[in-house]
Amino acid sequence: MEERKAYSRDGVLAHLEMLEAQAHELALKQEEKEQQEEKLAGLKARVQELRARRDELRAKLELQQKRLLEKGGAETHPEQPSARAVLEWKIKSVKALLQLFYLTGISGKLTKRGVCFCISTAYEGTYLESYYLDVLTKPEVQIQRHSVPIFIPLEQIAKKYLQTDIRRFLSVLSDHLNAYAARRYQADQLQERFSDRLEGTLQRNSLCNLLVFHYNVPSDGRSFLFTARLLYADPCCSLPTEAIISCTPDAPAALAEVAAAHSDAFRRAALHKAFDSFSKAEETQDEALISPPGSP
Amino acid sequence: MDEVVAEYIRRTVLKIPRDEIMGVLRKWGFLSETQLGAINFRQTKDSISQEVVQLCEENSADVKQAAILDIIYNNIYPNKRVWSVYQMKKTGEETDLFDFTNFKKKFKRRLQSALKNVTISFREYEDNAIWIRIAWGTPYTKPNQYKTSYVVYHSQTPYVFISVSVLKSNLPLLCQALVVASNYHDIREMELRSHCLNSLKDIVFKRYSQNFQTHYPKQEKNVATENVDVRIIQEDKSEKERIQRVNREVFGDGPQPKLEFAQYKLETMFKSDPKMDVLEKREPFRCLVKFSSPDLLESLKSLVPAGMADAPLSPLLTCIPQKARNYFKIRERKGVLPGSFVRP
Repeated sequence: MEERKAYSRDGVLAHLEMLEAQAHELALKQEEKEQQEEKLAGLKARVQELRARRDELRAKLELQQKRLLEKGGAETHPEQPSARAVLEWKIKSVKALLQLFYLTGISGKLTKRGVCFCISTAYEGTYLESYYLDVLTKPEVQIQRHSVPIFIPLEQIAKKYLQTDIRRFLSVLSDHLNAYAARRYQADQLQERFSDRLEGTLQRNSLCNLLVFHYNVPSDGRSFLFTARLLYADPCCSLPTEAIISCTPDAPAALAEVAAAHSDAFRRAALHKAFDSFSKAEETQDEALISPPGSP
Repeated sequence: MDEVVAEYIRRTVLKIPRDEIMGVLRKWGFLSETQLGAINFRQTKDSISQEVVQLCEENSADVKQAAILDIIYNNIYPNKRVWSVYQMKKTGEETDLFDFTNFKKKFKRRLQSALKNVTISFREYEDNAIWIRIAWGTPYTKPNQYKTSYVVYHSQTPYVFISVSVLKSNLPLLCQALVVASNYHDIREMELRSHCLNSLKDIVFKRYSQNFQTHYPKQEKNVATENVDVRIIQEDKSEKERIQRVNREVFGDGPQPKLEFAQYKLETMFKSDPKMDVLEKREPFRCLVKFSSPDLLESLKSLVPAGMADAPLSPLLTCIPQKARNYFKIRERKGVLPGSFVRP
C-alpha cells in the first residue's frame, strides 16, 4: 500500500512501465527454463537411443564369437578384407609384375623428367650385367646419361631410332648388349674351363668380336697345335661369322678334316660347348682305338 | 750387354720401392725363378739394382726387354705421370673387328716411316688396355731411352690416354700413327688432365657411380646407423637430410674419380658499381681461377655437408665428370641476362 502510494507520486505510467519490465524478465526466465528442459529431455532421449544401440552391438558380437567358437575358427561367410590386406596384396602383385618385366630384359621406371630404362643381359640361363639409360622426354627425347660401355655404338643406334621408334631403339640396343655379354661370357668360360688345352693367351678385344687362340689337338698319340681365328662380324650375334682354323705345317693331312670340323663346330655352337664336343669326340676316338669295333 | 741398357735397367729398378721389386721382376718374367731367388733383398737398393743388372747381363738383355720392364713399372705406378685424354673420331659405321697384331703393325709402320729412330714397345693387359711405349730419337741420333712417351688405348673406344714427358714436337706424329692404326680419321685433345690414369678412364668410360632409379633393388645399401647420444637433438635435421639427398643426386653414391685440379679461365666483364669507376674500358677482365686438391671431386662433394657452401653447388663445379673436362673457358653470355656461361 505504501509502495503504491510512493509510486503514484512518480506517475501511473512509470509504475506500469516497471510492471511491464518485470513481466518481461519473468517471461524470459520462463522461456530459458523451458528451453533447458527441452534440451535435457532431448539428451536423455539420445542417451536412451545410444544405450539401445550399444546393447544391440554387444548382442551381435557375442553371437559372432559364439559362432566362431562353434565352427573352430573357420570363416562362415566371406569377411570384408581389411584395407591393409588389400594394399599388401596390391603391392605384392605389382612387385611380381616388376620382377617379371625385369626378367624379360627391358624394364623402366618413370622419373621426374622422363624414364630410366634398365636393360638386363643374360646368356643360357645365366643373368649377366644390367645397363641403365636415363632418357628425358622434354624438350625432345634424348639420353641424359647412361652406363652402357663406351665401345657399344650407342650414339649410332640412338641417331637411327631414338626419335622415331623408341621400342626399336631399346630392342636393337638390347640385342647389341646381350650379344656382347654372351661373347664375353663365352671367352671367359674358355679361359677358365679349358686353360689346360690353350697354349699361350687368348687374344681378344673390348667387344670380344675377334678371338685368336692356340689349342692342342691330340692325334695318334701326338699333339698338334691348332690356331683358331674367330670373327664375329655381326654385332648382334653371339656366334662367329667366320672361324678360320689352321694347323702347323708339320701336321698330317688327315688333320685338315678335323680342322674343318672344328671350324664348323665353332660357327654352330657356343665356344665352350664346342670345346666340350671336341673333348667328347676325342674320348670316343680314344675308346675306338683302345677297342676297335668288330674286334673279338 | 749394352752399357746404356744396363744403366737403364739399373735406374728403373732403383725407382721401385724395395718391397715391390720382386713382384715387378716376376711380372717382367725375364729372369728365371732361380735367378730371382738368388737376389739378396736385404741389402741397399743400390746393391740390389746392381745384382739385377748382373743377372740381366747373364741373360743378355737388350733394349726390347728393358723397354718392357719400363712399361711394367709405369703400369704399376701410373700416377707418377700426368696423363692427357685425346678423343678420336671416325665416319664409318661398320663394326670394328679390332686385331691387335694388325694394330701393332700399322702403328709401327706409320711411325717409323716418319721417324726411323724410335723404340716402340707394346704390352696388352687383361682389361683390354694396350700400353705403348715410345722412346724418341731424332733423324740423326739413336732413340734416347729416357725421352719417352706412353700411350694407353682400349680397343674399339675413341679415347686415348697419352703421357708426354718431353718433346711435345713429336706429338702430332704420335697422334697420326694412332689414328691410322686404330682406323679412325681424326684426333683432338680434350680438356681433361690428371695424374690418376684410372680416374680419367672412369670419367670418359663413365665407370663412376651414377644413381639410376630402378624398381628392382640391386643391393640394399645398409645405412650406417651412427651411435648418436639420444640426448642430442639435431635442430636442423630436415635441412641436413635435404642436403644429403641433393648431394647424392648430384654426385652419386660411390667414390668420385680422382682429379687434382679444375681450372677456369674467365674472359668476362668486370661488373662493378658505375660510380666506383674501377675499369674505364669495357673489356674483359682476365682472370684464372684454379681449384687444387689431392682429390678434388671428393672435396667438392663434402663441401655442402661440411657447411662450407650452399646446396646446390654451382653447375660449373658439378659438371666436371659429366662434361669430361677440368679446364674451362668462361665467356660472356650474349643475351638478355647479364652473366657468364660455359662455352664447351
